[in-house]
Amino acid sequence: MVFSSLVFLFAYLPITLLIYYIVPRKGRNLFLFFINLVFYGWGEPMLVFLMLFNVLFNYIGGWLVDKYRQDAKKKKLFLVLTCILDIGILAVFKYTGMITETLNMLPFLNIPELQISLPIGISFYTFQTMSYVIDVYRDDAPVSKSFINFGTYLALFPQLIAGPIVRYRDVADQMIHRRETLAQFTKGVKIFCIGLGKKVLIANQMGLITKALFETTHTDPHGILGTWFGIAAYTFQIYFDFSGYSDMACGLGNMLGFEFLKNFNYPYISKSITEFWRRWHISLSTWFKEYVYIPLGGNRKGVKRQIINLLIVWGLTGLWHGAAYNFIFWGLFYGLLLILEKFVLKKFLDRLPSVLQHVYTMFIVLIGWTLFYFTDVNQLFSALGDMFNFGNGLISDTTLNLFLSNLPVLIAAGIACTPLAAKLYERFKHVRFMWVAETLFVAVVLFLSTASLVDQSYNPFLYFRF
Amino acid sequence: MKHSSNGKSGGRHYAVEEQSAQSKTPAYLPAFLFVGFIFVMAVWFIFNPKLDYSSSEKRYLQKFPDASFGHIADGTFGKEFETFFADHFPGRNMWVGVNAYAALAEGNNGAGGVYNCKNDYLINKPVSKDNGIIKNLGAVEDFHAIDSVKNIPMTVMLAPSTGYVCEDVLPMIHDKYNDDEYFDSVSQSLKQSGINFVDLRSTFKNAYAGGTQLYYKTDHHWNTRGAYTAYQQYCQALGLNATPESAFTKEVTSGFYGTTYSSSGFWGTPPDDVEVWDNKQNTGNIHVKITEANETIESDSMFFPKHLQEDDKYPVFIDGNHAYTEITNSKAEKGTLLVIKDSFSHCMAPFLAENYKKVIMVDMRYYKMENVSAVVQREKPEQLLVLYGIDNLATDTDLVWLQ
Repeated sequence: MVFSSLVFLFAYLPITLLIYYIVPRKGRNLFLFFINLVFYGWGEPMLVFLMLFNVLFNYIGGWLVDKYRQDAKKKKLFLVLTCILDIGILAVFKYTGMITETLNMLPFLNIPELQISLPIGISFYTFQTMSYVIDVYRDDAPVSKSFINFGTYLALFPQLIAGPIVRYRDVADQMIHRRETLAQFTKGVKIFCIGLGKKVLIANQMGLITKALFETTHTDPHGILGTWFGIAAYTFQIYFDFSGYSDMACGLGNMLGFEFLKNFNYPYISKSITEFWRRWHISLSTWFKEYVYIPLGGNRKGVKRQIINLLIVWGLTGLWHGAAYNFIFWGLFYGLLLILEKFVLKKFLDRLPSVLQHVYTMFIVLIGWTLFYFTDVNQLFSALGDMFNFGNGLISDTTLNLFLSNLPVLIAAGIACTPLAAKLYERFKHVRFMWVAETLFVAVVLFLSTASLVDQSYNPFLYFRF
Repeated sequence: MKHSSNGKSGGRHYAVEEQSAQSKTPAYLPAFLFVGFIFVMAVWFIFNPKLDYSSSEKRYLQKFPDASFGHIADGTFGKEFETFFADHFPGRNMWVGVNAYAALAEGNNGAGGVYNCKNDYLINKPVSKDNGIIKNLGAVEDFHAIDSVKNIPMTVMLAPSTGYVCEDVLPMIHDKYNDDEYFDSVSQSLKQSGINFVDLRSTFKNAYAGGTQLYYKTDHHWNTRGAYTAYQQYCQALGLNATPESAFTKEVTSGFYGTTYSSSGFWGTPPDDVEVWDNKQNTGNIHVKITEANETIESDSMFFPKHLQEDDKYPVFIDGNHAYTEITNSKAEKGTLLVIKDSFSHCMAPFLAENYKKVIMVDMRYYKMENVSAVVQREKPEQLLVLYGIDNLATDTDLVWLQ
C-alpha cells in the first residue's frame, strides 16, 4: 500500500487512527504491530512471513548479543551471524538477478534466471534492523525486551516502505514511553499534507513530463534545451516524490506520537556536492557513515585509506539504490566528486561567487540524475549526447508546449525547493490568525490531491462498445 | 513530549504560554479538518450506493472482490479492493471535474488529453507523429492488390481531425495537428496504387470558415452536416447524384454529451444537438440487418431512437458499433457498396444508402468471422469504400488484419 492512494487515505488511515486511539495505551504497540502487517502485506500477503522471519531472527540476534555482552568473542559472532543473514536476505531478493546476469557474461556459464520480485521496502527495513543489532552490540541502544515492541519498530508503517531509515537508538525510548498529544497530532497533519502535496500535486506532474519526454516514442528530437528540461523535470520529480514520502512518514509518525528525524533539508540549495549529500536523504548518509565508513576507519588511518573508504561507501550507496550497474556508477561518480571536493576543489570553490557555486552543484546533480534515471546504457549515452548537442535545435515545438503548459507548476516546484516558505512560516507562525492559513492549506492540498487520485482511476472506456 | 526541549529556550516557552492564553482550538483546526474529512469520506463510501455500471465511463465498475483465502493470499483481493474503492468513491465524477478544472486553472489545458477550446469545443489532442497511418494504409493497399479484389474500384475517404479544421478555437498553447502531412502522404501513396482518394481538407476548411459546424463540440465525430458534406464530395468524385438536403426531414435532439466530454471532465460544457436526417420517401424501402457474433438485429429504419435517451446519442445512427451491418434500399439506383469503416461512417451510412441498393459495412475492430475478400467474392460489390477518421486510422490496430 502507498500513502498517496485513496484506499490508504480513506480506509486504512481512518480505521488505524480510530482503533489506535480507542485502544488503551498499553495495547497500542500490539495493535500497531498487527496493522503494520496489514499495510505491508496488502499487495503481497506472503511477504508478511518474510517480515515476521526478519523480526524474529533479529530479535533473537539482539537478545544473544546482549546476553553475551561480557564474552567479546561470542558477542561478535552473534552480531556477524545476524548481519550476514540480514544482508543475505537482501542480496537474495534484490541482487540475484544482477549477480546471475553478471556471471552469465562468462562464456562457460549459463545459470537460469530466477524471477524474484523485490519485496517492497526491504532495502529500508534491512538497514533499520541492522542498526538495531549493531547499536545493541555497541551499547548505543538497550536491547528490546519485548518482541512486539521490536516488531512494531521494524515494521512501523509510516517509514516501512520508503524511509526514513530510523535508527533504533533514536526511537528506542519512544517505543515504550510516548505520549500522543493533540499539538503533535496537528503538527503531523500539517507535515503529512505538505508531503501529500509534494507527491501528488508536484511529483506526479513532473513524472508525466519525464514520461512524455523519455518513455514515449517520438519522431522529432527534443532539442538541447528540451533534453535539459526533461532532466530538470526528473530532478524535481525525484526530490518531491522522495521528500514528499518522507514528510508523509514523519507526519504519520507524529499522528501516532512518534518523532522521526528530518530526512531532507532543501538539498537543491546546496553550494557543493558535499553539502548536497548532507541535505539529501540524511538518514541513509548517516547510516553509511555510522555503520560502514567509521567502522572501516573513516579518516583516521591516513589519506589513502580514507579515499578507499569513501569509494567503498559510495559504491555501496549506489548499489543500495538499485540492482544495476548504472547505480554503482552513479554512486562512484558522487564518491569521486566528494573526494575531489575534499582534497582539491574546496579551496577553489569557496572563492567562487555563490551563484556559481549553486550552478556548479546543480549541474553535477542534474548529470547525476541522468546517470540515475537511465538504467539502459545506450539510452543513457544517447541522452547525455542530446544534452550537449546543438545540432538538434534548441527545443522542439511539442516540448516547448509541454514546458509552457507546465510552467506554473514548474515555478511552484522551484520555489518549493527553497526554504522560502518555511522561513516565511517561521516568521509569521505566531501571528494571531495563522491557523486560518494553515487550515486553508490543509484543505486545499487534501481537496486537490483527492481529485487527482480519483482522476487517476477514471478510465473512460470510450472507443469500444458505445 | 520531552520536557527538556521546551525548557531549553525561553522564547519558545513563552510562545507556548502565549498560545495557551488564547483559545487553543483554532490552532488544532487543521487536524480536525483532516480527521473530519477522511472519516466523512470513509463513512460516505460505506453508504454510497455501489453502481454496477458507469455511464460516463461506459464500463462496468469493479464489484466487491472475492474474499476467499486464495484471493487474499495471492494479493488479488488487495488489488481488486483498491479498484473497487476508487470506482465507488463518493462524488467520483465531481472529483474528476475538480481535477480537470484545476489543471485548466494551472494553465495546463489538455492535461487529460482534451483541449478546452473556445465556443465550447472539447477537442482531442493531436495523435502522436509516431503513428500507424502508413502501416494501416499499407494494409488497405495490400488488400486491394488481392486478385479477387483488384478489379473493383476502391475509394478512400478520411475525416480530418477536429483540431485541424477548427484551428481557430484551439487554446493558445496547443500541439500541432499534422493532418496536412498525413493527407499528403496518403494521397501520394494511393495515387501510386491506383486507388481513388477523396480529399476532404479544403472542402471542410472552407465550409468551416463559412460558419458551418461540421463536428460535434463534445464528441470526436463529425456531425450529420459534416457527414453530409463528405457525402456530397463522395458523390461528386464518383459521378453520383447526391440527394439534395431538402429531401430530408431533420429531427433535432439536444442534450448530447459525447466522448471528449466524458473523457475530459469538463462537466460545465454545454451539450451538443444531434440531428437525424431522415428521407421519408424511403420509408418502407429500407431494411437493416446487423450481425454481431451469433446475434442478428433487424430493423426497418437506420435510426435507433432509443439511444436518444442516453447521454451519448451517437449510436442513434445504425445502432453504433457492430461487426457487420447490411443496409438495403430497394429503390436505389446503384448496386452494392462495401464499406470498411470506423464509427465516422455511422452517420454517413444513411446518405450512402440513398444511392446504393446494398451498403455493407465491416468494422475491422469487431469483425473476425471471415476474410473480407470472401465477403467481396460473395457479395460482388461494385465499389469499395474505406472510411475512417484520420485519428482512428492513426491509432487503429485491427486494420492490419484486413485480407
